[in-house]
Amino acid sequence: MINKIIEILNATNEIDAWKLTERKTKSSELFFIKNKLEMNRGKDVVKYKISVYNDFSNNEHKYRGSADVELLPDMEREEIEQIIQEAAVGASFIKNKYYPLADPVEIDYNVPASDFYDNSFADILSQISEALFESDNFDNGGLNSAELFLNEHQIRIINSKGVDNSYQKRVLDIDFITNWQENSEEIELSKIITLAEFDLDTIINTVREMLIQSRERSKAESLPNINDIPVILTGSSVKELLEYFYVQANAKQIYENVSIAEIGESMQGKEIKGDKVDLLLDPNLSGSTHSVPFDKDGFPLSAQKIIEGGKLLQFWGDIRFSHYLGIEATGDIKNLSFAEGSYSEKELKSEPHLELLVFSNFQMDHLAGNFGGEIRLGRYFDGEKSIPVTGGSISANINKIKNDMLLSIEKQQINNYYGPKFIKLNNISIAGG
Amino acid sequence: MQNVKGSKFLEKKNNLMKDIIEELTKEFKYCSILGTDVRGKEYLVQKSGSSFNDSNWNERGFVVRVYNGINYTEYSFNHLIADKVEQIIDEVKKKAQQELKLITKKFELINYPLVNEDEISEEYFGEVKLLPNSITISDKLSKMNRIKDKALPLSEKIVDFRVRYEDVKVSKVFISNNKELKQSYIWSQGYLIAIARKDDDTRFFYKTFSGLKGPELLDEMENSYQEVVEKAESLIGTEPPEPGTYDVICDPDTAGIIAHEAFGHGVEADMFVKNRAKALEYLDRDVASKNVTMYDGARSANHVSSYLFDDEGTIGQNTKIIDNGILKKGISDLLSALLRKTEPTGNGKRESYERKAYSRMTNTFFASGDAELAEMIASIESGYLLENPMSGMEDPKNWGIQCVMISGKEIKNGKLTGNIVAPVLMTGYVPDLLKNISMVAKEVKLSGSGACGKGYKELVKVSSGGPYIKTKARLG
Repeated sequence: MINKIIEILNATNEIDAWKLTERKTKSSELFFIKNKLEMNRGKDVVKYKISVYNDFSNNEHKYRGSADVELLPDMEREEIEQIIQEAAVGASFIKNKYYPLADPVEIDYNVPASDFYDNSFADILSQISEALFESDNFDNGGLNSAELFLNEHQIRIINSKGVDNSYQKRVLDIDFITNWQENSEEIELSKIITLAEFDLDTIINTVREMLIQSRERSKAESLPNINDIPVILTGSSVKELLEYFYVQANAKQIYENVSIAEIGESMQGKEIKGDKVDLLLDPNLSGSTHSVPFDKDGFPLSAQKIIEGGKLLQFWGDIRFSHYLGIEATGDIKNLSFAEGSYSEKELKSEPHLELLVFSNFQMDHLAGNFGGEIRLGRYFDGEKSIPVTGGSISANINKIKNDMLLSIEKQQINNYYGPKFIKLNNISIAGG
Repeated sequence: MQNVKGSKFLEKKNNLMKDIIEELTKEFKYCSILGTDVRGKEYLVQKSGSSFNDSNWNERGFVVRVYNGINYTEYSFNHLIADKVEQIIDEVKKKAQQELKLITKKFELINYPLVNEDEISEEYFGEVKLLPNSITISDKLSKMNRIKDKALPLSEKIVDFRVRYEDVKVSKVFISNNKELKQSYIWSQGYLIAIARKDDDTRFFYKTFSGLKGPELLDEMENSYQEVVEKAESLIGTEPPEPGTYDVICDPDTAGIIAHEAFGHGVEADMFVKNRAKALEYLDRDVASKNVTMYDGARSANHVSSYLFDDEGTIGQNTKIIDNGILKKGISDLLSALLRKTEPTGNGKRESYERKAYSRMTNTFFASGDAELAEMIASIESGYLLENPMSGMEDPKNWGIQCVMISGKEIKNGKLTGNIVAPVLMTGYVPDLLKNISMVAKEVKLSGSGACGKGYKELVKVSSGGPYIKTKARLG
């Protein structure tokens, strides 16, 4: 199929360059209600994403139009030719500034040697299912349901300049719900675990932690009306909040004038009272499903320091938008490694505060900087005792609080995020439940 | 109007799909196959460039479902040629037999009844004013560029203006032991997005367009650029409302999000099966004020999720979920209905042929009332008119709800003051929100420009809406 596609691409007059990404995916999936299997599924699919490029000049400016289309293994030659021809015509109407494709570079890549890659899907899922239910041994709560998706992806990227790189990865996603009932009505919490390694301990510990949080939510009181109290975020909301700095430092956001960040300038305002942010993009972050040897263009990736001491050292970006800005491309790196802060968990929690563990849906608007969400589980510490709370919401704008963020020494990993586990913020608007 | 034609691809594969069913029927008491061919294009123009790509909704492939003797097993694939049929059948058997045996060494299976189907053979082909290919790529991009070029000079504060348009043709074939169903229809959606900035205060505003339409949608989009620019500008310098409980009027889009989150997700039958929805305890009880009637269904409206049959081969219906405040019925996929011994409602939808089917919404909305917007505003001493929802989330188990709107207009002494608050986070307890609905306007509007997720995944196309509604809500 690939040879046939390349032959057609090379024979199409309007195409000056092309990129082909082959993606083969096999999966095995299990669906549980409590600890009984509701359904098993599997899939085996192959897709070919083709980018065609059409170069032209106008008033001495060079342009490169492009179009992305998907081809499938069942397509006959006539249909492939028609799709590629339409894409080529479409690309000729797309007037984007010229940018180069990735050059061929030899990339040393080997399939990771581990049980996760050596064992069959059925064996792995069988062991993972057992681990999932290992912590499900409490009297008043347990797993309500769980969905397990084990995917194996084989990716190959080829372009008209000679790039031809491949890698393989297995990804495990577990989407599960926990229940708990004390004296009041039964409650639930939900969680998705995404793993790039055969890590049974993480599964066991995460389920246990969610069950304990469910017990806490079951006992939670409605959030009282409290003001002028620091808020401590933990878990995935910390990741989503700090991702704002990653998005603001992206070459595409700069080129499109969505971000106004400047190299050498502070990302956290003029007077930083709290911790200063350090961000490293690490394409080899252990345990991340986004750890890859090269990006979507076939561009080889290496670790890049982006922010240090709160100051922007460089933008990060793919070949296209880096070329537009006249900077060296870092490639599209999706792993974020933030340095630890200077406060221990104990120090952060020593004074009255509202700690927020689970939101209905924590929203971070990367453009305007607004963030917030409804609280599913929090802990209100009044200086003497801590009580679990639920309901109500918080909201704020990161641009108003980014100069006064206290980051924890303790770190957490959530798939492609490795960084502080807690972040303490002041001047957050709190609505009682 | 132009008739939408069926998928040539699915037509070519029809006999192979039947071969698979015939072969699997020798071993399994129930088997079905869904073939999908969803093809669309997405166009974007903005200040810094443009793009023309395949739609993210595109999919083409097959999913086989068999009754494995206790429950159901599925296998998805996208390479179906005569030489592959035997291999596909072997894979289905491997999943439904050997792999299942390995799991049953450690876990029990849930017992499902066998699907009992009536014999049906039906087809549906939608119609649109203009077929996607009746306007060239160049003409579509030219129309979009004209809108952008008129919008950008309107204000120095506008740093970007984006016009996005997408048309998608959905074709599906479902074949089982007793059913043969075919359908093809087209939907389109568009966005006008303005980004405004003053100093370091960056804001955005967007307006959406959608329907069972082709590129005629671009004509609808042509005259709204000024409104979008003005609204984006007006957001600069605004602050969220002071946290508190207010009288609010929700615009039709916001009413739609409330309907969708409150008693859309809240009455999905697969959530009943898992004991994840409190609504199950409230069937035939009041959950909303008497002013509230609510529907969902492929046949409840003519919008982006209107179809003949769902992804499990069940014919779409019009379900009255709430009737004058009383919760009447949920929406169900086929397997949940089997377990609950109820009738499926044609709500079994998949993100694509690659994914499992769940109970999902179609076109979900509050029915009309008899109030006028002007009298609704006049009835409020202090509150807000909430507009343009960005997102929603519900907790069906405990009836918490969260909706985020781009903005709200302040109302004082029965009049709009001209003051704007933004963004607006609305949270609360679903029955409180619905029982406080005191006025419902006459005109119902639906929007289908977004996507609905189940939890944090499984995106499907839906529409939602309603009339303007007046209620009390907690804003923060």
